[in-house]
Amino acid sequence: MSSLLAIQQLTIWRQQCPLIDIDVSIPGGEILTIMGPSGSGKSTLLNWLTGMLPQQFHAQGSLLLNQQDITHTPAHQRHIGLLYQDPLLFPHLSVAGNIAFAMPKGAKQHRSETISQALEQVGLDGLEQRDPASLSGGQQARVALLRVLLSQPKAILLDEPFSKLDSQLRHETRQLVFNQIREHQLPAIMVTHDQSDADAANGKIINLNAEEATHA
Amino acid sequence: MIKSADFFTHAVQHTPKLLMALLILPVLGGLVGVLLPAFGYIPALNKMSFSLQGFNALIDTAGFSQMVLLSAFSALSSTLLAFIITILILACYFNSPWLYRIQRLLGPILVIPHAAAAIAISFLITPSGMISRLFSPWLSGWQSPPDWLLPHDAWGISMILGLTLKELPFLLLMALAALAQADLGAKLRAQHKIALSLGYCPMTAFFKVVLPNLYPFLRLPVLAVLAYASANVEIPLILGPNAPPTLAVAIMHWFNDVDLSLRIKASAGAVIQLLLTITLLAAWWLLEKLTKRVSQTSIINGKRDYAGQHIMRFTHVTTFILISCVVLSLAGLVLWAFAGYWRFPSSLPEQFVFMHWQNALIQMHTSLINTLLIGFSATFIAVIFTLFTLEAEQQRAQSLSRFASLVIYLPMLIPSIAFLFGLVWLQEQLNSQHALFNVIFSHLLFVVPYVFLSLASSYRRLDPRFANLAASLGATPASVFWRVKLPMLISPICIAFALGLAISFSQYLPTLLNGGGRIDTITTEAVTLASGASRRVSSVYALMQMLLPALAFALAWLLPKLLKHYQHKA
Repeated sequence: MSSLLAIQQLTIWRQQCPLIDIDVSIPGGEILTIMGPSGSGKSTLLNWLTGMLPQQFHAQGSLLLNQQDITHTPAHQRHIGLLYQDPLLFPHLSVAGNIAFAMPKGAKQHRSETISQALEQVGLDGLEQRDPASLSGGQQARVALLRVLLSQPKAILLDEPFSKLDSQLRHETRQLVFNQIREHQLPAIMVTHDQSDADAANGKIINLNAEEATHA
Repeated sequence: MIKSADFFTHAVQHTPKLLMALLILPVLGGLVGVLLPAFGYIPALNKMSFSLQGFNALIDTAGFSQMVLLSAFSALSSTLLAFIITILILACYFNSPWLYRIQRLLGPILVIPHAAAAIAISFLITPSGMISRLFSPWLSGWQSPPDWLLPHDAWGISMILGLTLKELPFLLLMALAALAQADLGAKLRAQHKIALSLGYCPMTAFFKVVLPNLYPFLRLPVLAVLAYASANVEIPLILGPNAPPTLAVAIMHWFNDVDLSLRIKASAGAVIQLLLTITLLAAWWLLEKLTKRVSQTSIINGKRDYAGQHIMRFTHVTTFILISCVVLSLAGLVLWAFAGYWRFPSSLPEQFVFMHWQNALIQMHTSLINTLLIGFSATFIAVIFTLFTLEAEQQRAQSLSRFASLVIYLPMLIPSIAFLFGLVWLQEQLNSQHALFNVIFSHLLFVVPYVFLSLASSYRRLDPRFANLAASLGATPASVFWRVKLPMLISPICIAFALGLAISFSQYLPTLLNGGGRIDTITTEAVTLASGASRRVSSVYALMQMLLPALAFALAWLLPKLLKHYQHKA
């Protein structure tokens, strides 16, 4: 069975005014791009998807992950991975510690082997015990990606994940992230400002607040 | 930067040094003034040779080891309790608006003097107190007060309760202040979210991700709490056991004894107290290292949930009990202050009277004036020194050295009982007979750290472009300071002033010791009255102790608004 993330007839209101209206489903390996000016509700949508919608909003509609309704499931039981524009590596843990934190429980030996393999795959071999703060921006982004992937999510959300990287690095990292998402056959939703991100994702594009955006 | 050579600039430049001297000399001098007599050197008693007589006398004192153990046990357990509950509250309500509601409910306890808080708690747990009244007779069946030994129980449980309740809001405030720092708070919240998205239950996410990065900001406040709990006298005096009392209380009694030779023993005791506090601080540090070592592997073991639901339920209940304790003890205090005839099991007095207030207000006339006079003098000096020091920092364009900041917080960390006696001795040597002046000076030592702590961040955050702009318009450094910076900082200055007043109002030991027992304030009277006399009079004094700082803070909040109002009208 291939994986599927489905947003069904979602409307989100801020106080009384409707902010977002979406109905879409994303099969595994596909990346849905959400674009729109700031204030159009991109982060609100992400908050709803992760189960962290602030109180001043309310939503109607449902979220299905692999045919399972998770609309009312608390954030930590959704199995939806998050990748932000900042890598947000935990400063009190080493590189390996950051990844181990995300992995399911298991034998210590096996876990550390998996971590080393994963680091090698993205060209970070031998950096297990490093303090994340000592890594370059691109390296941190890759560790953050491994952290999400090794937590074995069933879907993945990308919140402007490449906006803090310079253009060369941006291209490489984007390629790596998208390849991994396709390889793992994960449904993904990416929020971005950047048309080149959308082009590279090569999937459906939803423009939030499109009318107002064209007026502006 | 080219410095201007006017009088104001000179005055400002020398203030930091003066402030350092003002803090270091009395504290170090005081420590020397305790060390010398501890080893038998008291010229006033014609004892000029060194000996261990004081320490021998100390060891021969009945119950000495019990005193030390009681001090250590109560300090460590109350600090640990306050710390654990603070962490549980933070973990449980990390993403909930309740965190700030709880802080708002517990916050006012911060400015309640220790003595007043202790009195309120003693009225809560005493056999005929609010708790036993609320549960009698319908649940307990008691028609007369039960025969339990609270608050002065031998184990110090009441004292631990008092210390915990008083220190918890402080730790919570410090944690929330750290989280309110824009970069740190946002980062920790985002990392908490990441942990949630990785499948961690909210409690575990807090303990594994937020706490390790938040703790460094809590370390100093926790150590200050521990040092304070190990050496304070008001709370053990009012809530602690009597025979034997805690070490600090015993030292105070020996020092105040008419028999001057007991001073050698008291000084030796103060040295032991200092060692005890240092040992406790070291023990905490060790405990911290050990916890870190032990938890290192479990942080990354991938386990997502450790009975989080149960811990959360436990925290809800604990928080509820805590807040009820606070509300009940305050309610009890107010009821006693207005109570006429009040039979035991009924939870409300039969009639309400103003008599206790009328009587007390006549009696407290002098002590009220003393309290205000000392408070305003000490705070005024502290605020001026702090402002000048912060201004010097900006003129030099570099922040205070680590050493200087440590010195400013010195009186917060060194147990006051260990250097105040020495300071008294020092003041006697200098022939400073003016009790009121001595008291103001000793209060200054305790007011400065808090005023500095409260003013520093706003002063440093002031946009330097305003000063540059004013200077370019031809304003001298002095007029930039008085006419640009201070008016812009009026709110934080008023708050710092109120905090300084609250700290001064609450001082017990410095007032008692440095005033030679001749200066009475509301606080010293409240402590004296707490140990006997009438519960009603005692309540009035305790409430007065709470009213004064509350009034100060209300004024600090109101004054800037009024000023603004009139300015914009004119």
